[in-house]
Amino acid sequence: MHELGVIIEVVKKVESFAKKNRIVEIDTLVLQIGELSSMVPKYVEACYPAAVDGTLLQDTKLKIEILPCNAICKNCNKVFNLIEAQKKCPDCESEEWDLLGGNEFLIKEIIAC
Amino acid sequence: MDKFKVIEIKESVFEDNERQANLLREKLEKENVFLLNLMSSPGSGKTTTVLRTIEALKDEMRIGVLEADIDSDVDAHAVVQTGVEVIQLHTGGMCHLDADMTKQGLLELGTKEIDFAILENVGNLVCPAEFDTGASKNAMILSVPEGDDKPLKYPLMFSMVNVLLINKIDTIDYFDFDLDAVKKRAKKLNPNIKIIPISAKTGEGINEWVDWIRTQVKK
Ligand SMILES: Nc1nc2c(ncn2[C@@H]2O[C@H](COP(=O)(O)OP(=O)(O)OP(=O)(O)O)[C@@H](O)[C@H]2O)c(=O)[nH]1
Ligand SMILES: [Mg+2]
Ligand SMILES: [Zn+2]
Repeated sequence: MHELGVIIEVVKKVESFAKKNRIVEIDTLVLQIGELSSMVPKYVEACYPAAVDGTLLQDTKLKIEILPCNAICKNCNKVFNLIEAQKKCPDCESEEWDLLGGNEFLIKEIIAC
Repeated sequence: MDKFKVIEIKESVFEDNERQANLLREKLEKENVFLLNLMSSPGSGKTTTVLRTIEALKDEMRIGVLEADIDSDVDAHAVVQTGVEVIQLHTGGMCHLDADMTKQGLLELGTKEIDFAILENVGNLVCPAEFDTGASKNAMILSVPEGDDKPLKYPLMFSMVNVLLINKIDTIDYFDFDLDAVKKRAKKLNPNIKIIPISAKTGEGINEWVDWIRTQVKK
């Protein structure tokens, strides 16, 4: 349910972008989703057809790119993937780190004419 | 295929809402209205807490309530009985409120008419955490029967709120709910979080809660 509401927003944004830039046909929509985002790619894909129904994006393909959730260790500056490392620095085992990314939910680009 | 080209957009989906939320917050600040966004799972006790809060504060400040409900007005009816102004916001199936809906509701209440507005958000620990409503401060309720593992399952919500109310504390003997563990988990996600155990049923802890509200409201 969460995903559907948000995807409808995305479609509105892309439609208004298209109108402003006189784009008439969109082949592909590319989204970027961070690993830590509450938007689950599987559900985004599942609600996409309902969200684009009857819009300019009706026949537009959806492509999702996953962005890693990387963190930097405050103790030794190592950059590591937070999920893989289970929230601990793999080098010094410190649990003090700053998040570098992974919460994103972005409209990256469209392939269009 | 070669007639198509890649057009970069690079836009954060939540950005628009963030901008509107910041504008709303500035407006409220200027007009001396304190807007509190109250969030929780369904049935944690938002409406009961709102009723208690109104009862404690209605003689010292002008209060308005925004009730967000997916499709009913049961809560709004309960709040109307207290005599304060209530606006029902129908989210039309959406799982959250955004800054624009909140602003419409506030305009209906009339920002000149109130010092303190409470927004009872949709019952849900995920989506409301992601949409800034423009509220001055955010609070959430976790009730004892829901379990002490919720900060682990819904970290975003716990990390964004200013106050965590632990409600239904009167039932703590019947559940195996570790209050200290919750406090520790919540503080780890959010070191500045203010945690107040309450019972909206018996009134326990309500004084500390309304004292905090008093420090936020400018009359
Ligand atoms: N024992 C006990 N019950 C409570 C307390 N607070 C609320 N309740 C009960 O919990 C139930 C749900 O309370 P509500 O205030 O309607 O909860 P809510 O969060 O507004 O629920 P929704 O709006 O449906 O999401 C009601 O039966 C309340 O009487 C409390 O402190 N202790
Ligand atoms: Mg309610
Ligand atoms: Zn390290």
